[in-house]
Amino acid sequence: MNGWDFLRVINGLRQASIMISSEDVRDVQICFDRFPMIAEKQIMKALLIRRPQDLIMFESVWRIIFDANLLGKADDAESSTRIINVEDKNSPGIGGQGVGRGFGGISLSNSEGYNGSKDLALKINPAKLEALMNKKEAFEELVKTVLADMNYYTWINSYDLAYQRGTLTEEEWYAHLNLRTSIIAEIRHQVLALQVHQENCWQPLARQHFLFKSLSNLTDVEKNLVKSSIRKWTRKLAVRLGQRWKSSTRRGLIDIARIVRQSVQCKGLIFKISYHQRIPRAPELIVLCDVSNSMAPFVEFLIFLISCFKQRYRKIRVYFFIETVWDVSDFIWDEDFENIRQKITSWGHKISLGFSDYGAAFKELAENYLSNMSARGTIVILGDGKNNYRSPQKEYVAQISERVKQIFWLNPLNVEEWNDPDNIMKDYQPFFRKAYRCRSADDLQKIAKDVF
Amino acid sequence: MHTSPRELAQALKQEGYLLDEETATTLFLSLYLKKPCLIEGPAGVGKTHLAIALAKAERRKLIRLQCYEGLDITKALYDWNYAKQLLRLQLAKADDWEEIKLDLFSEEFLLARPLLESIRSEEPVLLLIDELDKSDEEFESFLLELLAEQQVTIPELGTITSKANPIVILTSNNSRDFSDALRRRCIHIYLTYPSLEREISILSSQVPELSEQLVLEVCEFVAKVRKLPLQKSPSVSESIDFACALKALQKDKVNYGDLMGLLNVLLKYPKDIVKLEERLKKWDSELKVRMD
Repeated sequence: MNGWDFLRVINGLRQASIMISSEDVRDVQICFDRFPMIAEKQIMKALLIRRPQDLIMFESVWRIIFDANLLGKADDAESSTRIINVEDKNSPGIGGQGVGRGFGGISLSNSEGYNGSKDLALKINPAKLEALMNKKEAFEELVKTVLADMNYYTWINSYDLAYQRGTLTEEEWYAHLNLRTSIIAEIRHQVLALQVHQENCWQPLARQHFLFKSLSNLTDVEKNLVKSSIRKWTRKLAVRLGQRWKSSTRRGLIDIARIVRQSVQCKGLIFKISYHQRIPRAPELIVLCDVSNSMAPFVEFLIFLISCFKQRYRKIRVYFFIETVWDVSDFIWDEDFENIRQKITSWGHKISLGFSDYGAAFKELAENYLSNMSARGTIVILGDGKNNYRSPQKEYVAQISERVKQIFWLNPLNVEEWNDPDNIMKDYQPFFRKAYRCRSADDLQKIAKDVF
Repeated sequence: MHTSPRELAQALKQEGYLLDEETATTLFLSLYLKKPCLIEGPAGVGKTHLAIALAKAERRKLIRLQCYEGLDITKALYDWNYAKQLLRLQLAKADDWEEIKLDLFSEEFLLARPLLESIRSEEPVLLLIDELDKSDEEFESFLLELLAEQQVTIPELGTITSKANPIVILTSNNSRDFSDALRRRCIHIYLTYPSLEREISILSSQVPELSEQLVLEVCEFVAKVRKLPLQKSPSVSESIDFACALKALQKDKVNYGDLMGLLNVLLKYPKDIVKLEERLKKWDSELKVRMD
């Protein structure tokens, strides 16, 4: 590997949020020099990758830089079709299913290898893929578009049906599931590589880090990583003094009794003036979550964050709402979110049509629950603000904001979408102290620092 | 000191541990760079066993610190021998206090716990910090000095630097994530369940009296079971136990319809056993259809 490529790999990994220190770089160079018989990739992987989930990033960076079979490498070969054998030795192939041919751009097909073995080949036409990429969709949507274009969904449906009919053994079914994973991973990689090539930077890769991905698109592993990160932040915040204590220069009232007590220990001499310890007032938190379907992934993480903070707040109330309000403070802490999700669904079916009505929810809150809130309370609202063209009933929000200390709004939509015609963010803006975008774990971290 | 990953893998093989090439390379590089090695992976894949085999292969004394919630410095690093200190005070009533004060916190009254023992050891040692994820985060931060500088600081005595550069192996079952600071100081290995071929080799070497056919069938069966959504997949040691149990019952092949009662050896949760029993019926009928 030449120095330039080495630096590109290091830079790519750093851009993809993998921490690499100068000492690591030195260690890699020492090992390159000392053990030329060990593959360079192996050395870099061994010394620079410290989390299993970073391996995918490493492979992506490596392939983007060194793999000649990538789209970004050869602009002159647009008309050619690249064939990638999907790595799965146990694959039963697509057999006689006869689907998955795609529309001539990207397709799945059986290929007879030179050794006679049947492999599943992923045929990718770079020009076709680039054309799909020009749709300017978000990454996940692009991957879905590409998969749809290659008839992937028809192909997997045929397997699902075959499995349900019992014509596929369990072993073949698991092999097929592995194959699905490999195909999706390959398509994701190809799309990512093309994005990196088009944008001429590593940003697309960085956006795939779990901290920056939308909370609604996280895999189970990534969800656990986000939760683990939330635990870490809350722990840090728990030992940190609140901002109001740091900035204050006032030392409080002189504590005469304590001064006398201390002076007795020193033969009546006063060496130090003591002050009454300032006791922080118990904070009160009221969390309002819109639990319409689109909000579920975001609610899960906010609830988890609040649970982690539970010990720091004397009083936390949590309310769910769609059209009406539901006080869930008593059960939410002890349950797995999957159970909570089911409860939300059954509750939603019973009392709601499933369309958010912020005005009605705030009205109910003001009429039924406001008397329980104190002037020290902080309200955190999690909602996308989409009111389905219903009346915002601002007077109730105004009434609530007068009663409590402050209101924060967390919105999973991008800021530019807050001004959509059916969005009530602009109507409620005068009544809340600050609104935050709450779309990714990174946003959540900023909110945790700012609000709590 | 081994000169190549292959040589290291060979040495470990002689101690009864089969390591794939990639993991052997990572471990070899961590030994060469004298960096701690953090081994992560699900329970039962052989993390601790790897450390034990490495200690044997490197001819080092194994010092093991088993981590648990609430583990603190007095259990992991050092403690003062209070009883002995009291005796010293009793015997030295007439001595000069300044002298006693220094004496009381000397090495004579120090109780070395595993970490200090490994640092002070004259002979080569391998320090195994097992299941670090079970310990508290404070303890993890405390380890940073040891991992980076191979030294520890005792306020009353000062800094003690290691004499024989212990090999440090940390293991974790991923029950919680570690800080970046800890990860940065270690070389990372992720051990997962072995491939079919490797598991066959492991079983053949660990239980040589088993027939080739039985080993193959057991490994294939266990690999199949691991694909099920279970609370805990069977580990390598459990597949060895399962093979031994079949041997003890004089069964020379894995018969899906004849495994009831044996599943407890393979799986540890009743829910998992029920799930597998259901699948066994399905697999059995599938097999019969194929045979017909």
